[in-house]
Parts: sequence; structure tokens; C-alpha cells
Amino acid sequence: MKKSFFAVGLAMTLATGAAMAQVKPEILVKQRQAVMTLQGKYFGPLGAMAQGKAPYNAQIVQRNAGFLDNLSRMPWDGFDPSTKGEKSHALPAVFNDDAKFKEAASRLQNETAKLYQVSRGGDEAAVKAQIGAVGKACGGYHENFRQKQ
Amino acid sequence: MLVGLLLCASVALAQGDAKRGEYLAKAGGCVGCHTEARDGATRYAGGRALKTPFGTFFGPNITPHPQAGIGRWTEADFIRAMRSGVRPDGAHYYPAFPYPSFTRIVDQDLRDLWAYLRSLPPSARASRPHELRFPFGWRSLVWGWKLLFFKPGSFAPDPGRGARLNRGAYLVNALGHCGECHTPRNFLGGPKKGREFAGASLAGGGGSPNLTPTRLKKKDDGEVKDFLLTGITPDGDVAAESMAEVVRNTTSQLTPQDLDALIAYLRSLPPLPDEPK
Repeated sequence: MKKSFFAVGLAMTLATGAAMAQVKPEILVKQRQAVMTLQGKYFGPLGAMAQGKAPYNAQIVQRNAGFLDNLSRMPWDGFDPSTKGEKSHALPAVFNDDAKFKEAASRLQNETAKLYQVSRGGDEAAVKAQIGAVGKACGGYHENFRQKQ
Repeated sequence: MLVGLLLCASVALAQGDAKRGEYLAKAGGCVGCHTEARDGATRYAGGRALKTPFGTFFGPNITPHPQAGIGRWTEADFIRAMRSGVRPDGAHYYPAFPYPSFTRIVDQDLRDLWAYLRSLPPSARASRPHELRFPFGWRSLVWGWKLLFFKPGSFAPDPGRGARLNRGAYLVNALGHCGECHTPRNFLGGPKKGREFAGASLAGGGGSPNLTPTRLKKKDDGEVKDFLLTGITPDGDVAAESMAEVVRNTTSQLTPQDLDALIAYLRSLPPLPDEPK
């Protein structure tokens, strides 16, 4: 009993702690930009392999797919309403169209998770097709939520 | 026998070459607007939504189905639609159908495109009517728009530019219709004069980037070519889906010579400052 009280107390402290520690908006923008940079870093070679522009290397695919799977969950809490006024390429739709934004985010996470799964099997064609699906999820998200550059 | 061969050859020429037409259809990116945006959609059976400030247009079925598609059209109907933006019944097309670019396609290419479209499997998928904001549902307004902004006529090569730049100009301005998205428009939806390829704001808050040397000079030919072949920049950045689709359907399908010509032409454009976003 005492233990669970303690646990509740700790959880509450942590929760308030999280609420109190307001991350500065410019750091949140940096966070999501950093995630996107890394996504590009680890996705680029896979795209080249899927299109036959670089030799296929199952080990690199598997490693990068694992990185991307984690990265795909990281940018989203950086799109906090407090960052609305910050200079970035984010379009207003990020903050105005919450349902669509969440849908695009979960699509990327699902496709990336699938890529991680198939990358652990030996089916090169399936992996290449799934790399294409991840690329489409990236592009679909950029279409609606990022200023084209 | 020789006469027979000659006759065959001239008939083939008059009828258009479907194989050549298939390549031209890729260079024109026709499949993009004329196919639904979902996996397994029937190619050229229509259904793509194109959102504009005037409403949403839906690409129609252009397979040779007699009722649902354009199976009852003649070659002359097709050429008139592409060259003049006029339907077989005489009504004007909305310029969401990029005939201001397609009008520049030369006769032989139009005949080849037509031969290719005739070779597609007919689909009974019904075309969806456009959903336009008042008063743009009145097609007669298009007459005025055409008077202001539409100059019909096929591409005439500039003898001073050489074959490569002329080919690039033809790919970009006629078939590729790049300016439809990359040239800013005025409030009437007409292209802004003197601002060709400077990039534009698009419906939905996004924009299309500047294609003139102002921006392109920062990238070497290899980078531009890789992007147009893969849709991914050297940093691994993925193009937005509307351009990614153009890469899949069109630019990655061009012959190496055509891709070179396209890039050379873009590099020859007058550098323009970005369109204010």
C-alpha cells in the first residue's frame, strides 16, 4: 500500500515536473529539424538502393531502418502550439488541421515500423517496395505541412 | 510493292505511333491528373482531385470507353481539345486542364499521343463532376479567361538556340507544363507576365519553388539530375508528394538526352527573384 502511494506520488511529481519544465519554442523547432535532418541522413541511402542507384546492402538497410523507426516517433511533440511564431518551414496547417496532421504522423510511423519489420526478413523486393512507401509518407507529409523549398 | 510500303508508312504516320505516344504521355505526365490517387487505381480512368482557389477539379476518364471515357472522339476532337482547349461539343475547358501548355505540342506528337490513348484498355469508371465555387461553375467565363491569357499555337523552335535548348524548351513549356505550378498566377488565375518559373504559392498554403538560375545555380547538374531521377536530394530530403509524383511519372522516365536538355533549358532562363510567399 505504502509502495503504491509512493508510486502515485512519484508519478505526480514527475507529471508536474514535466508541466513545469517548459522547453523553449526555439529548442522545440531545433528538435524537429534535427530529427528531420537525421531522417534524411538515414533515408537517403535507402532511397538510392530502392531505385537501383546504389548497390543493395541488407545490413545498412536493417541498421538505418532501426534508426528511422525510432526517429519517426521523435519530431511530433516538437510541433507544440508555442512554436507557431517561430521561423520555420512549417505551414499553418500543422496547427490548424490537427486531425490531418496526426494522420500524416501516424502514417509515417506505421510505414517506418513496417520497413523495420521487413528489413529483418530476406525479401529484397519487399524491402524496396516498403522504402518507396516510406518515401511516399514523407512526401505526403511535406505536401501539406511544409513550405516547399 | 514499293507503293504499298510507302502507303503503309504514310498511313502509320497519319495515324500516329502509339509507342512514341506512350513516351510523350510520360513526358506530359498525363497519368497524374487522370488517375485516382490510391493504390490499384485504373490508370487514365480519371478521379484525381486538383484543389485550386476556384474549387476542386477532378481529372476525367480518358480511356477509350465509349460512354465513360473518350471512346467516341475522333483524332480531330483530341487535337482540338489539346490545341484550343475546346470540347467536342464546343464548350471551353477550364484551364485546370493545362491546354495553355499543351497547345504548344506539335501535330505529330499529338497524333502519337492520340494513338497511345486509343490503345489503353477502356474503363467504365464514371468521371466525377468538378466542385467549383460560385461563380466559377459558369463555363462561359472561361471564354473571357482565354481571351486574356490563352495564346494557342504549336511550339516554334528558336533557330538561335540550338537543338538541345529547343528540345528542353519544348519539354518544359509544351509537354511537361512545368509553368502551370512553377509560374505565379494573378488573381484571375492567369500566369504573371515576366515571372515565368519564379515559383508560386499554391492552394493550401504551400508553394512551388523557383526554377530559374537564382535558385538552381546553387545546385550542380548532378544534383539536379539525381533529384529529377529519384525525388530525393543529396541530404536525403524527400520532395513533397506532388513533385515526387512528377518525378515518378515524368522526369525519371525521360531519356538521358531529354533530361539533359530540360536542365540545360532551365539554366538558360533569366534569373528571377523568388515570388514573395
